[in-house]
Amino acid sequence: MVTAENVTRLDERLSQSTVRAVKDTRAYTAFRIVNGTLLVIIALVTLYPFVNLVAQAFSSESYINAGQVNLWPKGFNVTTFQLVMGDAMFWRNYQNTVYYTVVATLVAMVLTTTFAYAISKYHLKGRKVFIGIAVFTMFFNGGLIPNYVLVNELGLRNSVWAIALPNAISVFNLLVMKSFFENFSTELEEAAEIDGLSTYGKLWRIVLPLSKAVIATMILFYAVSFWNSWFAAFLYMDHRDLYPVTVYLRNLIAGATSVDGAAGSAEATQIAANVKAVTMLLTVLPIVCLYPFVQRYFVSGVMLGSVKQ
Amino acid sequence: MRTTKKRPLALAATAATLALALAACSGGTDDEAAKTPEASDLGQVGAMEDYGVGTTFKATEPVSFGLMYRDHPNYPLKDDWDILTKLKENQNVEFDIQTAPLSDWQQAQSIAIGAGNAPDIISVTYPGQEVAFVAGGAILPVSDYVEHMPNFLDKVEKWDLQADIDRMRQEDGKYYVLPGLRESVRPSYTYAVRKDVWEQLGLSLEPETYEDFAADLAKVKAAYPDKYPLSDRWSANGPLEASLNVAAPNFGTAAGWGYGEGVWWDEDAEEFVYTGAMDEYRELLEYFNGLVADGLMDPESLIQEDDQALTKIASGQTFAQLTNDQEILKIRTAMTETGTAGEVAMIRVPGGPAGDIVAGGRLISGVMLSSSVAEEDDFLAMLQFLDWLFYSDEGLEFAKWGVEGETYTKDADGKRTLMPEIDQNGLNPGAPKSLNVDYGYHNGVWMLEHGSSDELDQSMLRPEVVEFVESMSDKELAPVAPPAPLDELEREQVSLWTTALKDHVWQNTAAFILGQRSFDEWDAYVAELEGKNVQQYLDVVNGAQQRFADAND
Repeated sequence: MVTAENVTRLDERLSQSTVRAVKDTRAYTAFRIVNGTLLVIIALVTLYPFVNLVAQAFSSESYINAGQVNLWPKGFNVTTFQLVMGDAMFWRNYQNTVYYTVVATLVAMVLTTTFAYAISKYHLKGRKVFIGIAVFTMFFNGGLIPNYVLVNELGLRNSVWAIALPNAISVFNLLVMKSFFENFSTELEEAAEIDGLSTYGKLWRIVLPLSKAVIATMILFYAVSFWNSWFAAFLYMDHRDLYPVTVYLRNLIAGATSVDGAAGSAEATQIAANVKAVTMLLTVLPIVCLYPFVQRYFVSGVMLGSVKQ
Repeated sequence: MRTTKKRPLALAATAATLALALAACSGGTDDEAAKTPEASDLGQVGAMEDYGVGTTFKATEPVSFGLMYRDHPNYPLKDDWDILTKLKENQNVEFDIQTAPLSDWQQAQSIAIGAGNAPDIISVTYPGQEVAFVAGGAILPVSDYVEHMPNFLDKVEKWDLQADIDRMRQEDGKYYVLPGLRESVRPSYTYAVRKDVWEQLGLSLEPETYEDFAADLAKVKAAYPDKYPLSDRWSANGPLEASLNVAAPNFGTAAGWGYGEGVWWDEDAEEFVYTGAMDEYRELLEYFNGLVADGLMDPESLIQEDDQALTKIASGQTFAQLTNDQEILKIRTAMTETGTAGEVAMIRVPGGPAGDIVAGGRLISGVMLSSSVAEEDDFLAMLQFLDWLFYSDEGLEFAKWGVEGETYTKDADGKRTLMPEIDQNGLNPGAPKSLNVDYGYHNGVWMLEHGSSDELDQSMLRPEVVEFVESMSDKELAPVAPPAPLDELEREQVSLWTTALKDHVWQNTAAFILGQRSFDEWDAYVAELEGKNVQQYLDVVNGAQQRFADAND
C-alpha cells in the first residue's frame, strides 16, 4: 500500500542511494585516474624501445653513436633499408622463417587440437595417463644433448621437421585447450551424434567451428613463438640458407660487437647500429601487424574455460 | 571394446618414450679412450710421400674433409669463393662444410662435440677452450701426430714457442688444439693522446716510464685545470680491465683482462703465488690511485660506458684514453663529426718498475680435430694439408692475401699490393670488391687470426699501426709460467674458489684506485683473501704443477 509516508521514505532512500552512487563514482574516478595513469606509463615504457628502434632505423649512424636519437629520427635516411633489403640472404632467411612458422604452426595446431579434444573426454580410458605423460614433459626433459642426438638419429636435421616436431605440442597450450573443450556443451555433441556424426565429424563440424576464439589464440601463441624462436634452427640447421631470419639477425648483431678471430683488430668492420635497427624492425613488423587482428579473440580466448559452467 | 585397446597403447607409448630416452643417453658417452698411434697406422689416401718444409701440398688424389665452419656475418660463406676453388684445383682438397653462426659459435661447438656429431676439423678454437672436451674423448690428442707436421715443428722451433706449447698440455701430458702461431706478440692496446696538445706542451709520444706519463698528464692538467687529462674506458665487467692489463706486466704482475685464474709464477720461490695479493699488484693500484688523487684521471673512468668515454675524448673534454688500433679510428670519426679540431695518436706503452715488458699469448685461435679422424683413410693427407695451410709460409700467405697476380701483386722488395678493385682493411678505400667478402681470403677459419711471421702480420696494417708495433718490438716478453693442468675434480673445486676470489679482488681494485679504501688496509685485504681459501687454491695449483713436472721429466 502506498501512503504519503511511504512515498517520502522512498524518496529519502532514493536520494540516499544517489548520494551513495555519487560517492562511489568519486572513489571510482580516483581509481580510474590512478589506474589510467599507471597503464599509460607502462604503455609508454613498453612502447619507448620500439619507437626508439624505429627512430634509429631511419637515423644516420653518427647520431646513433653519439646517443642523440630518442623518439625522432635524426639525419633521416633510408639507405640502410635499401642495403638490408638488397641482401639476398636476408630474404632467403625471411622466407625460411615464414615457411617454418606456417608449417610448424599447422602441425602444432593439428596435434594440439586433436590431443586436447581427446583428453577432454572424461570417458576416455587412460585419460589420466595421457595427461600425465604430457604434464611430465613440463617438468622434466631429456636435456640438450640427448634431444640433439635423438633428432639427429631420426634424420630430421636440416629439415623443417627438426623445428616443427619437437615443439609441436606446448603443454601449456594443450591444457588451455583441454579445459576449453571440457566446457563445451555435451548436449550439442550428443545431438550431433544422434544425427549420425562420427567422432571426427563432431570435432570437425560442430566443435571446431564453435571454438574460433581459442583456436585463434592458440595460432597466435604458436605462430609468435615459432616466429621468434632461433635456438632450434641454430641447433639443427647446418647451412646458412636454412637459417630463419632470427638467426641471421642474431649473427649480424654478434658480428657488430665481436672482437674475436679475423673480425678482430685488423678488420673489424663495424656493422652499423643503424643496420641492426633496420633488420630488427623488418623482423618484428609482421608479428606486430598480426596482433591487432587476433587480439579480440585473444582476450576472450584465454579467459574461456577458466570458469566451469 | 575401446577400453581394452587404449591401455596397452598408453603403456607402449610410455615404454617407447623411456626407450628413446635411454638410447639418447647412451649415444653421447660411448667414446673410446684415445689410443697411442703409430706412424704407419695412419690412413695414406691422398698423402704425399715426400712432404716437408718448403713443399707445396697437393693431395695425390682428391680428398674431402669435414669442416665445422664459423660463419661470420661480415663475410658470409659463399660456396663459389675463390679460396675454395683454388684449394680444390691446387691442393685437391674439398670441404664438407657444416656451418654455425658466429653469435653462438662456442655453444654450437660444444653441442656438436658432446653429441659426437662434430666434423673432422673444428675451426676457430682458442687454446683453453678445448679443456671441457678432453675428458669426453671426442677430441683428438693432436700432440701425438705433430711429428707428421714438419712446418709446425719448424715454426715452433724457429720462433721458440716450445714453452708456450707446453702450457697447453693437459693432465695426460698431451695437447688437443693446433693453435695459430705468432712470431711475436702483437700489441694493439695503448693510450691514445691528443697529439696536438702533446706537441704544443712539448710532451713525448714515447714516455719512458709510467711515472713519466703521469708527469705528462700533470702538465696537461696544469694547462687545462678544469678538465681531466685522462678519461678511461673498458670498465664494463671490471675496473679498467684494459688499462690494467696493459700496465701490469711493467709492474711485474697481471691484472684486468690478463688476470686469468689469478695465479702468478714466482720464479725465485719456484711456486705459484696469488696475483691479487702480490706487492707488485699493490704498486700497480697505487699508481692508478695516484692518478685519481691528483685529478689526472676522471673517476668516472671506472663506471662509464665505452661510448660515453669516446664522446668525452672526441668532444675535447679529455685528452687521453686507452684505445686499440681500431678504436682510434672511431675517435677520429667522432671528432670529425663533432667538429673537434685536433689529432689523436697512439703512444708507446711506457715501462714500469719491473722493466719494459709486454705480455700476451703467442698462441692464438686454431683448430681441434675429432678423434674419429685418426681412423680415416685420408688422415695423413689431412695433417699435411693443415700443416701446409696454417704453418707453411706459402699457405699463410695464400690464406691471407690470395693468389699473386690475381688478388695482389708483389714488387721486387716483396711488398704486396692488393689489386685496385679489391679492398681489405681500408687498403683500397672505395674498391668495389672485398678480399674476404668476395674471395674468401683473410678469413678467420682458414687464416688462424694473425698467426704468422711478423712480416706477413704487418703486411696488411696501416702505417700508423706498423709504426706502433715496431716501437713496441724492443719490449721484453713477459715470462711464461710452467704448466699446471688440473684434473676434472680439481677444476670443479677451484672454480668455486677462483670466482669468489676474483670478485673480491675486482671490488677492492676499484676501491683502492678510487681511494675509497686506504692502502693502510692492504694487509687486512690480503687477510680477507685468505679467508676465501686462497691458500687451499694455491696448494692445488702448486700440487698440479709438481705432479705434471714429475710425470713429464
